[in-house]
Amino acid sequence: MTRPPEPPEPLAPAGPSEPPEPSGPSGGPEPDPSAGPFLVPNTKAGRFWSVRRVPAALLAVAVLGGAGVLLYDIAAVRADQPAMRWRRVAAARLAEWRLEEPWVLAVAAAAAALGVCLIVLALTPGLRGLLPMRRDEPSVRAGLTREAAALVVRDRAMEVPGVRSVRVRMGRSKVSVRADSHFRELDDVRTDLDGALDEAIAGLGLAKRPSRSVRVTRPPVRKR
Amino acid sequence: MLPVVNRLLLGLAGVVLVCGGGAVLAAGTGLSLPSWWPWHGPRDVLLSAADRERWRDESWWWPAVIAGLAILVLLALWLLLAQLRRARPAEILVDSGDGEGARLRGRALEEALRSEAQSLEGVRGARVRLTGRRGRPGARVGLSLEPFASPGGTLGRLTSEAVAHARESVGARSLPVEVRLKAAKHQARRVS
Repeated sequence: MTRPPEPPEPLAPAGPSEPPEPSGPSGGPEPDPSAGPFLVPNTKAGRFWSVRRVPAALLAVAVLGGAGVLLYDIAAVRADQPAMRWRRVAAARLAEWRLEEPWVLAVAAAAAALGVCLIVLALTPGLRGLLPMRRDEPSVRAGLTREAAALVVRDRAMEVPGVRSVRVRMGRSKVSVRADSHFRELDDVRTDLDGALDEAIAGLGLAKRPSRSVRVTRPPVRKR
Repeated sequence: MLPVVNRLLLGLAGVVLVCGGGAVLAAGTGLSLPSWWPWHGPRDVLLSAADRERWRDESWWWPAVIAGLAILVLLALWLLLAQLRRARPAEILVDSGDGEGARLRGRALEEALRSEAQSLEGVRGARVRLTGRRGRPGARVGLSLEPFASPGGTLGRLTSEAVAHARESVGARSLPVEVRLKAAKHQARRVS
């Protein structure tokens, strides 16, 4: 895993080693081309994908409850027991309610909206609070919570002389920092802050370096 | 595996809800509908007695309904239990290199990895959980960082020390590790 994957590959077709190339797929004297496709996605730091345990559990409970009760009642009727009252009422009501009634439409709209939510849950990665970190080692995947990243940035910004208080908003691709400065020229503070933040952002070790926006303001003078 | 199944079933449920709700909405608001649409217009009822009893006298109807519901119940039960269960190998097969192999208790590896991670500079607390199978184990590590620790540097130390040692002790195979770093809330340090 630690050997350099790239250099041997461009050399192989250019060199006089014609025979190894056809024998490559049949047996393995040249492991590099086959290892390449596996190495590349491994080192790329993608998003973390949530397992969606909670939505799946809720869905399972809903389906289990509905289908379970209906199954129980149908089986009971098959065994010559009387049907539960709700099923007779439901059958009568379903044959009565017309589609144009506003609350039938409302329920249908709500069901469709819930369905859209479920589809979104199924297709999106989730875990927006976890920023993927750089993968130096292919088998180690790491993520840093946004809160932790914001704390690191805040701590570093507070070390800049002249900064009295800092508010940091850590987005997924952008850090916005608002600092109050109570002494020194604002431009000097901003320059120092820019440098300090670049250093702090690099130290986060994130896969995708977030951009930064900095605002430095002078708080209104308070008389004591 | 579980994420894929969860997302497939959530998506399927979503599609069913969207189709059902959309079909009622389209019919209820009086859009012009193709002839195969389950409802024909806003004056239609949700489920007429004739529709409900259409197949009642067929011999296959009730067994089919019961079988379908039973499958649905079993599927939902399995899905629910799968969320509650977490795969955690109790022991790990270690390739000792002499063709013999050995077994390592999963808890022992978890504890070793945890205590080493916890002793690293910049780490306040660590939680380790083995994942995967006993032939190809993996680990999930949750780190809580000390105030003022560098996340990138701490991850580098974890990788080069604790994870590397754990990998050595398991054998030459790769040990996929997922790390999540969070930080304890703390007050800012004033310099001036």
